Amino acid sequence: MTQARPHRPLRALLAELWQDKPAALGLAVILAIVAMAILAPLVAPYDPADQSILSRLTPPVWNDRGSWEHILGTDNLGRDVFSRLIWGARTTLTIGGLTCLIAAGIGTVVGLWAGFMGGRTDSVLMRLVDIQVSFPGILLILLVVGVLGPGMWTLIIVLSVTNWMVYARLVRSVVSSTRQTPYVEAAEVIGCRPSRVIFVHILPNLVSPLLTLLILEFTNIVLAEAAVSFLGFGVQPPDTSWGLDVASGRDYLFIAWWLVTFPGLAIVATVLSINLFANWLRVTTDPEEREKRHARTVAARRRRRGTA
Amino acid sequence: MTFRVLAMSAGLAALFMSASGGSVSAQAITIAIGSEPSTLDPQLRDDGGERQVNDNIYEALMARTPEGELIEGLAAAAPEQIDETTWQFTLREGVTFHNGAPFNADAVVASVERVIDPENNSEQMAYFGTIAGAEKVDDMTVIILTSGPDPILPSRMYWMKMIDPGYAAEGDLASAPVGTGPYMFESWDRGTELELAAYPDYWGGEPEIDEVTYRFVPEPGTRLSGLMAGEFDVITNLLPEFTSTVPKFAAVPGLETSVFVLGTDNEVTQDPKVREALNLAIDREAMVQALFMGYASIAKGTHVNPAAFGFNDDLDYYDYDPERARALIEEADAVGAPLVVVGESGRWLKDREQIEAVAAYWAETGLDVTTDIQEFSQYLDSLMGDGPRPDAIFIANSNELLDADRETSFIYHMDGAAASNSDAEMAEMIDEARVETDEDARQALYDEILKRAHDRNYTVPLFNLQDIYGMSERMEWQPRTDAKLIISEMSVSE
Amino acid sequence: MTDFILRRLFQGFLVVFGVTTVVFVITRLAGDPVSLMLPLSASDEQRAAFAAQIGLDQPIWVQFLRFAGDVALLDFGDSLWQRRPAMEVVFERLPNTALLIAAGLGTAVVLSIPLGAIAALRPGGLADRLTTSISLLGLAMPQFWLGLMAIMIFSVTLKWLPTSGIGTPAHLVLPALTLAMTPLARFTMMVRAAMIDEMNTQYVKTARAKGLGLGRILRVHTLRNIMVPFLSISGWELITTLSGYTVVVETVFGWPGLGLTAVQAIQRGDLFLVQAIVFSIALMIVCIGILMDVLSKMIDPRIELN
Repeated sequence: MTQARPHRPLRALLAELWQDKPAALGLAVILAIVAMAILAPLVAPYDPADQSILSRLTPPVWNDRGSWEHILGTDNLGRDVFSRLIWGARTTLTIGGLTCLIAAGIGTVVGLWAGFMGGRTDSVLMRLVDIQVSFPGILLILLVVGVLGPGMWTLIIVLSVTNWMVYARLVRSVVSSTRQTPYVEAAEVIGCRPSRVIFVHILPNLVSPLLTLLILEFTNIVLAEAAVSFLGFGVQPPDTSWGLDVASGRDYLFIAWWLVTFPGLAIVATVLSINLFANWLRVTTDPEEREKRHARTVAARRRRRGTA
Repeated sequence: MTFRVLAMSAGLAALFMSASGGSVSAQAITIAIGSEPSTLDPQLRDDGGERQVNDNIYEALMARTPEGELIEGLAAAAPEQIDETTWQFTLREGVTFHNGAPFNADAVVASVERVIDPENNSEQMAYFGTIAGAEKVDDMTVIILTSGPDPILPSRMYWMKMIDPGYAAEGDLASAPVGTGPYMFESWDRGTELELAAYPDYWGGEPEIDEVTYRFVPEPGTRLSGLMAGEFDVITNLLPEFTSTVPKFAAVPGLETSVFVLGTDNEVTQDPKVREALNLAIDREAMVQALFMGYASIAKGTHVNPAAFGFNDDLDYYDYDPERARALIEEADAVGAPLVVVGESGRWLKDREQIEAVAAYWAETGLDVTTDIQEFSQYLDSLMGDGPRPDAIFIANSNELLDADRETSFIYHMDGAAASNSDAEMAEMIDEARVETDEDARQALYDEILKRAHDRNYTVPLFNLQDIYGMSERMEWQPRTDAKLIISEMSVSE
Repeated sequence: MTDFILRRLFQGFLVVFGVTTVVFVITRLAGDPVSLMLPLSASDEQRAAFAAQIGLDQPIWVQFLRFAGDVALLDFGDSLWQRRPAMEVVFERLPNTALLIAAGLGTAVVLSIPLGAIAALRPGGLADRLTTSISLLGLAMPQFWLGLMAIMIFSVTLKWLPTSGIGTPAHLVLPALTLAMTPLARFTMMVRAAMIDEMNTQYVKTARAKGLGLGRILRVHTLRNIMVPFLSISGWELITTLSGYTVVVETVFGWPGLGLTAVQAIQRGDLFLVQAIVFSIALMIVCIGILMDVLSKMIDPRIELN
């Protein structure tokens, strides 16, 4: 934990990822979704808000009534489902990314502070974390939305405020364990300024566990955003969001299954890919887990050879 | 008249059933409604869920035929107007409340006084604001007093449900109602379901369906699923797309009319030529087919409901004429001029679809059209606030009283909350019509008002929307214009 | 032990106080409760009367003390939508939510232990890979989507189960299973991982070498050892379910519990009812937290606070 990981060239890392096919696939899907989100105006065949009353509820292309004009069909306003998926990726990733960054930012600062100051500050801050943890997440969003009205920024702020505690706890535990190592103690004894100690000795040790947590939390945010938008308290039309599209497609479930199915699948694909990749990342960055994985692979190989 | 025929046929049907079967099994149906009643007190809230239940438990002095014609209900005949502010009602004989109490003049006086009592702060005062009080003449005769001349008092009395004063004092009106209607309250498991049973001593004869269960299903998609899965017999607000999916459906012209209100003092829309062009530019027939699958009719030159008193039969809608519209915009020197169309989304049937489609038609005239779909509270502010009037704002107007007064005061009268014109002459006519108690003179005034607003293109009327109900295979029912779910008018074929 | 419980209770009290403050701050300071709750057409006199009725004319600290006092008595005022005390509505809907959660989490717990154990017996084997894949999929599926798909398949197409509402045991099946999916996936993964770790420990290996049956080893040693982590993860899962998933599942299936009621209360601008629901759920979460800590401590006395 304390010594920096030996430098591994990217190529070797990729080769290792290639061993884990699901994780490699996950990464590929994530990259595709990110590219789609960034290049949305170029990739999307239509403006997601463009309506055409005459071609509403067109089914996907492989259906008899479908056409190549709208690959995944159109919705109740004649908007192109595929374009909406692409723009929806943008909304989802923006909200997920911003929320995770803000939450991780707050959490890291609080965690560093608590871990470093120790004593009274530590216990007060950690009590605060306890209060936060007992706060009902989605219900708190409902309360805030009830007062302030729905909107993307309300959502980002509330999600950040309800999610920073995980980071604070993680950072605090890393900080307090790092501080007890001889070289940090030594640095403090020779009079290094606390900020210097944090930057030089503690932050590097935080990067890898924080990154893993960030990625895992990202999926929670994606799911939460979708759920809140589905309930009608998150992203508001004319903006697009996968959760919102499932909600508006719900009324047409019987005659237009594609309206609910595709945005739902987009959410599943995103979360699943991230989970697969994060799982690999967690194991790869944790020496103990790496060892276990290696042992399992060897055992499995031996077993296969044995049964063959 | 019609009511008596209905009552007779119901009576005959009952007779026929008892004669033929002898042991006809109890008829029970399940209805899915969008929202649970907030209370079952019939006089406090303006709540659709409450009405959908209480319309079967309670009755009012006046009633309407399914087509919307005002007829006598608990009154024995149409009221007699004694002077400008006094109306006399003679009551129907032999009517009893479900608890056995007689319906008489005391009940009417108590009902009126309870609704208008400021202590009760009733939301229904929006309908009863002009009523000053009620007095008993004799046991079966009552007079109702208004604060000023009020020609629509009879229509108002169709909204006021009659309660038993004794039960109001001692019983639990809010959760175990007692009325005079064809159905009695049975049970209410809050959040789950509500049950009614036929009232055997109903003055109009016992209704055909014996047991009714209401279930509360907020989502239209879920209501439809329940109907398809065979759980419900009647569901409300069926989308036109599903008429071919459900086992059975019924459509009826409803109370809502969609319309754009034009800002006649705004830079671009102050020109009558531009406003006429906006009316000519829309292919309303194509929209009826594409958006509503034909389940809407084109509003004839006004947003006043065709079933309402005061509707002008002589007006017609503008035919689609894009060339003429473009020519008018050029004549007005308005090519490329900005036009902002304000609207909302999700409140009314296909609101956003209508707004966007119309905006697209308008863009073809050469105007530079932008659509501003606002969040609902912001939209309400645009519609009714004190700020500058929008160039064009969408609204689906509805009028339960079926009288032109509310629609004209709201949208045509220059001081009306949603009006965007400054036509003082027309405002005077509307004020005059409000207090004119002679029916013919009043109709003449409205004919003139509606024609004037149409000729000057103060609004762009769109469609009278139809209410569509989904039904199970065994249901027989013709829905009503006033959108009430009257179960005694339904029947079941096995 | 008593000392531990007392300390934990005191902490819980602090948390509840914090929650009260946050609810107060959000509803009174962030917005204007009067314009939120009264219709747009309300007159100025009506607004002033309503403000006085809920004490808005008082200084802020008086308002807070009154609010905290009311909260202590579980008095959140009358629901504007239902015109009866907000807590009455909460107590009426609470059993429905409790039933749904009990059925959902119960299913998840009962199914996850055998599933996780089977997967752990041969890591990398067919059963393991199948269980793991399905679990990963379960974690990625939003409940609202899963619920809609379930309605589509089991209610509308196959007509096996009702689409929505409450009343018979059949009404419970789809919502409970939808709610169970995510926790089931998480529990299964957790049981599997813990079992694999356990099976690799020296004492299990020794016991197996001595010829003890695998079933007995699992029952006597392994299961007991994973009890504590299992308990804490179920407590955590119970909390997440209470604070979020139920809202979604209840809305999809029209299940009249606290979550659906909260959504409807917001749509109707009924702030008092929303407050009552949010506070009640926060209170339950705090209690569950304490209960879980005490239980863990009883099973394994070595556990320290924090």
